[in-house]
Amino acid sequence: MQKSLANNSLGKKLIAPIAILLALGMPLYVRGAEYPLMLACIIQLYVVAVSGLDILFGYCGQISLGHAAFYAIGAYGSAILHNNLGLPILFTMFVAATLAALVGAVLAIPASKLVFHFLSLATVAFGEIVYQFIVHSPGGITKDFNGIFSARLSIFGFEFSTYRLWYYFGLACVIVFLTAKYFLVHSKTGRAFTAIRENSHAANGMGINVRKYKVMAFATSAFYTAFAGAMYIHLVGYVHPDTFLRKQSVLFLTMLLFGGTGSLTGPILGVISVELLIESLRVLQDYQGFVYGILLLIVIVALPGGLFGGFKNVWNLLAGRLGKRRGGAGAC
Amino acid sequence: MLTTDKVTVKFGGLTAVNQVSVHVEAHRITGLIGPNGAGKTTFFNCISGVYRPNSGSVIFEGNHIEGKKPYQVNRAGISRTYQIINLFKKMNVLENVLVGMHPRLKSGYLSDMFRTPSQRREEKAAYERAYEWLKFVDLQDHALDPAGSLSYGKQRLLEIARSLASTPKLILLDEPAAGMNSKEKEELDELLKRILELGVTVLMVEHDMKLVMGICHYLNVLSEGKLLAKGTPSEIQNNPDVIQAYLGGE
Repeated sequence: MQKSLANNSLGKKLIAPIAILLALGMPLYVRGAEYPLMLACIIQLYVVAVSGLDILFGYCGQISLGHAAFYAIGAYGSAILHNNLGLPILFTMFVAATLAALVGAVLAIPASKLVFHFLSLATVAFGEIVYQFIVHSPGGITKDFNGIFSARLSIFGFEFSTYRLWYYFGLACVIVFLTAKYFLVHSKTGRAFTAIRENSHAANGMGINVRKYKVMAFATSAFYTAFAGAMYIHLVGYVHPDTFLRKQSVLFLTMLLFGGTGSLTGPILGVISVELLIESLRVLQDYQGFVYGILLLIVIVALPGGLFGGFKNVWNLLAGRLGKRRGGAGAC
Repeated sequence: MLTTDKVTVKFGGLTAVNQVSVHVEAHRITGLIGPNGAGKTTFFNCISGVYRPNSGSVIFEGNHIEGKKPYQVNRAGISRTYQIINLFKKMNVLENVLVGMHPRLKSGYLSDMFRTPSQRREEKAAYERAYEWLKFVDLQDHALDPAGSLSYGKQRLLEIARSLASTPKLILLDEPAAGMNSKEKEELDELLKRILELGVTVLMVEHDMKLVMGICHYLNVLSEGKLLAKGTPSEIQNNPDVIQAYLGGE
């Protein structure tokens, strides 16, 4: 009974190690090419950011169109703490992300009363406030429209001077953040999030302090996305405020919907496919946005569960057929 | 165990519940009946914290609970089911029961995120207990099905299992037999007796008179927001006011 309830089939147990092995080998089979490696690094930090948004939107059902603001707080926070106070980079990344989590919690306390469209407006406004703060900061601490430089990542004096080296740092971050997400969503806290998404009245009736858990979801989500922002600045070495316009928030949400919400795999598929799509459409030059828009529309209309939802349906269909051939024994 | 004193709820100009005082005796099944629109569900919502009464008080085990939030009422030991089924449809049957256990689980945010050994032990025990609750209502064969895929009658049973999972002292059942076929109703009758054996007190709204008259120890009749009558089932059956309210006429 325990085995079937825990739902740990051998296939599922093997997927993670195989994926990790493939990911570990990535710098080997793109030897020499810097550009794909940089893209892989960006994909890793986006996976962290979008997984964070998924905790809020996919699991807890709360929309945010202001996640670029958390991304910005992570990037600027870590850069400022490192540049002005000389704190070690990994530490500043955590401090900046924690700060963003606090900001997220403070935002969520009033926002937890709002539902779907009102919440989207509130989060859009929040994104705008943070952007305005960055470009007109007190004492020019964010260097306003000039953007801000910061050092590349180094941990205990070891410099991640190439994309190849940074790639392994990014991979470690993805594994840590996805493991934490997995643990969180498959726990009392995660069930409370999902219960709120499914039916917040019933969740309240079942003894769940809905507001408290919405605040938790916002803070967790902000931490993830801000940490990704900190990863970004210490990868690229520079950020411009226009990186944090609303279109960045929309990009996060697009990646999430494209890949599929409420899973570990969905955000990964979404980030990879949207990034590769944007890159490969560059050859179309002026028509890039046009074709990108149409492809997005097709996936979102044809696959409401995103790519991952689509794959799962095909998988279930095939598994169902195979199960029938084996006399139905394989179905459960 | 539970006493309401002149509870009144108004929606604008409409008085949905008017000065209703009822008493629920511990270890009994108390029924709340009345024609449609009598204010039964509104009254339930007052007890469970969905509405705050405009006046009057709700006292549970000596403490005032009127005006508390639903999750606080649940923690005080009152849990409920809903007239319109309110399950977490995309979660599976077992997870629905696990959500019901929420206020009884001790793990917190950080121990959940880092999956500490004590959190792991608690989760394992929680899954086993949740499975026991499914057995209690005979839904164990559906443990991994999405709650939304169950038949109507089975969804009602799951609602009961989910609210029992918080180990309440008092359970409020809002039309538990609605949508059940006669066989399911017989099983519900037997289930209610087993709930009582667990030491849980029951207050239920129900329209099925055969079920109500057969199992309730005490009845309260609401009509047009007012308490029309109270007494044992046989007293109620012979009460001329009740007969008039149900059948109309002179």
